Amino acid sequence: MVDTAFTEEQDMLKRSARNFVENECPPEYVREMWENDEGITQEVWNKMAELGWMGLLVPEEYDGIGMSFQDLAVVFEEMGRVPMPGPFFSSVVLGGETIRLAGTEEQKKAVLPGIAMGETRATLALMECDPLLSPAGIESVKAEPAADGYAINGIKLFVPDAHTADYIICAARTDEGADPAKGISLFLVDSKTSGLSIELLKTMDGGRKQCEVNFENVAVPESALMGQKGEAWPIISKVADIANAALCMEMVGGMEKSLELTVDYAKTRIAFDQPIGSYQAIKHMCADMMLITESAKSVAYYAAWAVSEDTPDAPEAVSMAKAYCSDTYRKATGDCIQIMGGIGFTWEHDAHLYFKRARCNEHLFGDAAFHKDRLVTMKTSA
Amino acid sequence: MNIVCCIKQVPDTATVIKIDPEEKHIQREGITYIVSPYDEFAVEEALQIKEKLGDTTVTVVTMGPERAKEALRQCFAMGADEGYHLVDDAFDDSDTYATATTLAAAIKKIDFDLIICGKHAVDGDTSQVGAQVAELLDIPQVSMIMKEEINDDKKTAVVNRQLEGGEEVLEVQLPSLWTCQKGLNEPRYPTLKGIMGTKKKPITDFTVSDLGLSPEEVGLLGSKTDVSKMYPPPPRLPGRIVEGEPEEAVKELAKLLREEAKVI
Repeated sequence: MVDTAFTEEQDMLKRSARNFVENECPPEYVREMWENDEGITQEVWNKMAELGWMGLLVPEEYDGIGMSFQDLAVVFEEMGRVPMPGPFFSSVVLGGETIRLAGTEEQKKAVLPGIAMGETRATLALMECDPLLSPAGIESVKAEPAADGYAINGIKLFVPDAHTADYIICAARTDEGADPAKGISLFLVDSKTSGLSIELLKTMDGGRKQCEVNFENVAVPESALMGQKGEAWPIISKVADIANAALCMEMVGGMEKSLELTVDYAKTRIAFDQPIGSYQAIKHMCADMMLITESAKSVAYYAAWAVSEDTPDAPEAVSMAKAYCSDTYRKATGDCIQIMGGIGFTWEHDAHLYFKRARCNEHLFGDAAFHKDRLVTMKTSA
Repeated sequence: MNIVCCIKQVPDTATVIKIDPEEKHIQREGITYIVSPYDEFAVEEALQIKEKLGDTTVTVVTMGPERAKEALRQCFAMGADEGYHLVDDAFDDSDTYATATTLAAAIKKIDFDLIICGKHAVDGDTSQVGAQVAELLDIPQVSMIMKEEINDDKKTAVVNRQLEGGEEVLEVQLPSLWTCQKGLNEPRYPTLKGIMGTKKKPITDFTVSDLGLSPEEVGLLGSKTDVSKMYPPPPRLPGRIVEGEPEEAVKELAKLLREEAKVI
């Protein structure tokens, strides 16, 4: 049975997360982190680790807490309200979940406890030149057999937080064939491995750092292979669904906060002796913002539940949510700036932080057009 | 050492409060509840004492309807060990005296060395319950503490309390009751493990009969005061700009403040 209502524990977690992000990551901190290459201070990172958030999805046998994705979704929604800078998303979801789903027992034992404690950071190097999230896009980065393992060559783009990660999980092509979904393998690469160079990219959202990762004859042992050689695409697809569900929750939190900022402003900004919120044009925009925010919440909560329960329709639920949240977060944050007029356009106001996070998130792991297309494919092939 | 913290579940400070048509209560619909922030200081201080001394039990006590158990569990999530819930329709509409009577009766049933409360709850803002509980239990009380140090003998403590423009340092015997002022500590965020463990910690319910009290001693019947009317503050009037040259404008402003606003 679908149950997206919060439990009492999730309500407590939500309150705790709200207090934490508001107190520890106020807008001044977020702006500071935009200018900071690390993206987060060690102090805030350690505090998050102490609260246990990083081990939330890590099974207990690897020193995690082993809770559900729905619990993590609560945290992401609150993080979206800031919007939270730093590598939490990349390490906990991209790194942690890929290792949990694809890693060998040795790899899980070696890395997951560190991720759960916040002592180790990992990320997933997936995208290349093709902006679409498709197996055919994993083309130029190749892993070929070499002495005692593989040699990886090629360039990965837009890798979240690669510059601060201890491990980079690389999706590389190991076999060419008619079916592009076959022949993709995952490798757990120590970021200090010789031949690996990482460049921090200048992107729109300074809170979500992205990198170009260049693999030049990066030699990895056979033990770096995660799961079955050439069979990684189904796992990548699943990790992308989990990542998108997390991003949707973050977008929902950002929409809620943008709506609050907008309504507060519309109530207090006086024009022609009246609060601007008393004028019909502004009222309609605010009402539409609320409508899309609540609708986004519904579809994102359902996706979080579906991912958490690993239901057969989880990919559909995620694509619906990502398509809708991508369009509506951009719309809501754009309207927030419109309603605020000149002040909303300034660097000093927080509105742009949300707009830029919206633009960043909509393109990560497939934009709205991609997910609508994916939905059509899933529905017509069913 | 056994530390008892008295806590209260109150409307979230971000909630917009509306008065019900009878003008004696607030409207409960749609309210989000939290543990009163000053009570969180009390729980945090108790937990810090426990971490410092070891071998300490932190017990939280609250009076309120069934939903008040959530407040006890929020304190469990922070690290409190056990809870007592004073829950009975007879407790409804208690004033501070009836509340203190009920809390004191419950605490008498618990082995305690120290009681810590918030300096006031952020809904009623009376600041009376802590002192009244101490009086009813016949123990010393120190209000608005900013710092504390339990002595090695665990029978006395040195406590700093806030005064206007300074602090007063007192030595106080245990058991005693302290109320906490903002600045004493920074309440911790509940950890995930703490949150997940909340349902495993015991809550004991006390009704009026469990406490050995009669219905006349508690609730509205046991209260010394009665709420005759509750109303929201009048809406704030918009500001006014006094025009003119500074010398004249200041005179006009002083006149308005004295004759119209009556604040000087």
